[in-house]
Parts: sequence; C-alpha cells; structure tokens
Amino acid sequence: MLLAVDISFWCSTIAEPFTWTPRLYPGIWAAMLALAVPYLVAQHRRSRSGAPNGDRRRRTFRYLSGVLVVWLATDWPIGLLGASYLASAHMLQYLLYGLVAAPLMLLGVPEWMARQLLSKLRAYRAVLWLARPLTAGIVYNVVLVLTHAPATTDVLRANQAGSAVMDVAWLLSGLILWLPICSPLPEHTRKSYGAKMAYLFIAATIVPVFPASFLTFSEFPLYEIYELAPRVFGLEAGTDQAMAGLIMKVGSIPVIWGTLLVMMMRWARDEGVPGLGADDERAPHPA
Amino acid sequence: MRRAPTLNPTVRTRPLVLSLALVALIGAGCSGDDEESGPLGLAGVELSAPTERPDFVLTDTSGRDFDFLEETGGELTLVYFGYTECPDICPVHLAQLSEALDRPGMPDATVVFVSVDPGRDDPDTIREWLDNFDDDFVGLTGSVDQLIVAQEAAGVVPADIEGDPEEAGYLVGHAGQLLAYAPDDRGYVIYPFGTRQSELVEDLPVLAELTGEEAA
Repeated sequence: MLLAVDISFWCSTIAEPFTWTPRLYPGIWAAMLALAVPYLVAQHRRSRSGAPNGDRRRRTFRYLSGVLVVWLATDWPIGLLGASYLASAHMLQYLLYGLVAAPLMLLGVPEWMARQLLSKLRAYRAVLWLARPLTAGIVYNVVLVLTHAPATTDVLRANQAGSAVMDVAWLLSGLILWLPICSPLPEHTRKSYGAKMAYLFIAATIVPVFPASFLTFSEFPLYEIYELAPRVFGLEAGTDQAMAGLIMKVGSIPVIWGTLLVMMMRWARDEGVPGLGADDERAPHPA
Repeated sequence: MRRAPTLNPTVRTRPLVLSLALVALIGAGCSGDDEESGPLGLAGVELSAPTERPDFVLTDTSGRDFDFLEETGGELTLVYFGYTECPDICPVHLAQLSEALDRPGMPDATVVFVSVDPGRDDPDTIREWLDNFDDDFVGLTGSVDQLIVAQEAAGVVPADIEGDPEEAGYLVGHAGQLLAYAPDDRGYVIYPFGTRQSELVEDLPVLAELTGEEAA
C-alpha cells in the first residue's frame, strides 16, 4: 500500500520545498513515549503501593507539559523547519528544549522517582557532579556553542541520527542547566536565593550573547543548510539568520528574568518583607 | 551548612579557556572559504578556457524576441537554465543570486533565466515566478528546438524530461550551474549548486571589471 505522506525516523535536512503536508516521524513518537510512559507507570505503581506521593497531579501535569513541549519542538512542523529550512526555527527549538521543557520536566519529577532512576542508572554521583553550578553552567554553554557552530549544525542536521543527537543534547543540557535551581533532589539545588539567581543569570544570559551577536550581525549567512534551503515564508537567508540571533538574545528573557523575579519575590517573602507573604505581619500605620 | 567546593585554580581555568575556544568556533563560520579555483582567483569554478558569450534568440516574458548576444553584450550577465516547477535547486539558485545582488556595492548585472520546460512554462508563468525573486530578472522561453540551440550555444547539456510529460509533476533534468559572462563577452566561471552568497559577492565585482580593456 502506498502512503501519501513521507515517513522518516527523525527530522533532518531535506531538499524539497517546505509544505504544510504533514510528515510522519515515528522515531520522534517513540522517543516521546519513552519519556512519558515510564513516568506514568512509575506514578501509577507508587499510588497503588500506598507510599506517599504528594502533589501527584500537579507534578504529572508539569512533567507531561514538558514532554509536550519537547514533542512540539521536535516533530513536524517546527522540527522540520529547524532541521532543514530556518535558522530562526532552529533557535526556537533550542529555547523550547532548554528553557521551557527542561524546567517543566524537572519540576514534574518527584524526589522518590529521581532517586529510583539515578539508582537504577548508577548515575547518582555523576548527576551530583553535573548539578554543581560551575559544572552545570559550563556544560550548558559548551553544548550551546558547539551545537550552534556552523560546522556542527551543517553536519549534524544533514542526517537523521545527527539531528536526533543534537535534539537530545539540547534537552540534556537544558536539564543540567536547571538542576541547581529546581532539581527534585534537594542536595542538587542551591540553598540561597541569591546563589540561585546569580547562577542562573551568569549561566543562561552571558555566553549566549556572543553566538547571538555573530548570527545577528554576520555579513553573510553562516549555516550552509539554511542558506541553501528552499526559502520559506519569503524569508531571505540573511533575515532569517538575524532573526535567529534575536531569538537567542531576547527569547530567553521571559523565562530567565521571570524566574529571577519569582525567586526574588520568594526571597523577599522568606525574609519577611511586608505584603509578600500570606501570613506576614503588617506594620501598623501611624495614627 | 554546605561548604563551597574547593577547586585547584588551574583546573578552574581550563573549562573557561575551553569555553572561549568553543565560542571562537562560531566565528570560524564567518571566515568563509578562501579556496580559489583558477588564475582570476574567483571563488566559483573557473573554466580552463574562457568561453564566448553565446548567440541565440528566444522569446522573453512580454512575448518579444530576445537576441541574447545583442541584448546583453558588454554587460555582466548571469544565465541559468531551469524551470519554474523545479522543486529545489532552481529557486535556491535564483534566491541566492537575488539576495547577493541586493547587497550594497554590488555591480549591475543582467540575470537571464531560460526555462527549459516549454510544456508548462509560458511567458506569464515565468514572469510571475521570477517576480518572486526580482522583477528585473529576464525570463526566456522558446520551442524545444530553440531551447536546445540555446543550451548548446551556452555549452550545457540540453535538458531532458524525466518521466511522462503527460503526467502532472514530471521533473526535468537540466544543467544546474549558473553561467557568468563578463562585460568582455567571455565566460570565465560557473557557479554550481551549493555556491554561497559570500562567494557570489566576492566574485561579481571582479567579473564586472573584466571589460577587455585591462589587457590592452
């Protein structure tokens, strides 16, 4: 039987013009199931065992929302646009993995599940090391720079396996970035809000400025795959690349600065600043 | 209270140096490819022996005869043989050319697109398609025999329909390179698919200076 749609394992560079005809990527669906099903099974077993599993619904919602974002960023159409046509879509994918999906997934994993998983994988020590702010910040930024270097992107995006490696690297580096902030294991996270805020600001906002500037102000398109792709939405290759740089520069602002703001307010609340806590004691107004 | 981890200062600086080196990788993409292919030092593929500007007559998108040699002689001219339903390399080549020529400081050049698919590409179709790139691009068509003469005059292998021309969506095998003719009416270089905008921007001003007077 002939299928009317193209089927591939993973989104990668293709030669045809982009169309809105959906393309099927079973490898991506399998990966999404691999992320979601074991989580749901573990949650179900925990509930049946009667062991404490507080906040289950909210955690499950957060985790599955994270998986949904990963799926949206990886599958057609965003995944294909990012793998084959538009540097700006490539950058959008990167931000979705690292700044949206990764923290949602971490916030959705309960402590007992994280301990079980790390124990099974014998990865407790490795993840503890990765959760150190210096290590996490360096790993995140090394992956950022490596995967946005034109030579790497042009080579990896050209084939399905390479493209999958790039997507997985982005998600993993995003998870590592957020470990010191919102890991399910308390020994991973920084204790003070000031340390968390300083870490997040330094790790997630400084280094990206350099590749973003290269992309925005480069005289010529840097990525061969996007420059030699059939144009999409009438976007010129140079304009698309400048947009990619802008997305990298400003796209992180809502998440990073929003997180910083929330942490600052919690810090202030914990310090007893009036008006920020439900049970704070308001100073009496002078008569 | 958790103690801050103590690190050997040399260990602490290594990741930093590594990170800076990696940042430089991005910059490496800006440097471009400095390989030169021949005596003129062009980034495109220089021909071992320059060719003459071809002499052929076709029909332009307003329905008039277009004598290529007469109309473009003495000008920097870029010629491409393709077809409007080409799914990949034709639109990319023309987009690359259009975006390169739009850059400041680029010389005036006449771009001629010759459709090798007379069965589907009438003058209106060609004009509408070319306007997606630049409304100054010249579009030409003709009979099958005229097109074969034009392609042979330009030194490219004549296009060939792949599949059944009665069925919609047939493909046309055609020359994939952009031909460049300098104002001295000679062709020194071709640009195969995959040519970067930076290479066109580097070469076209050099070609525009080849007026034939520099050797005198």
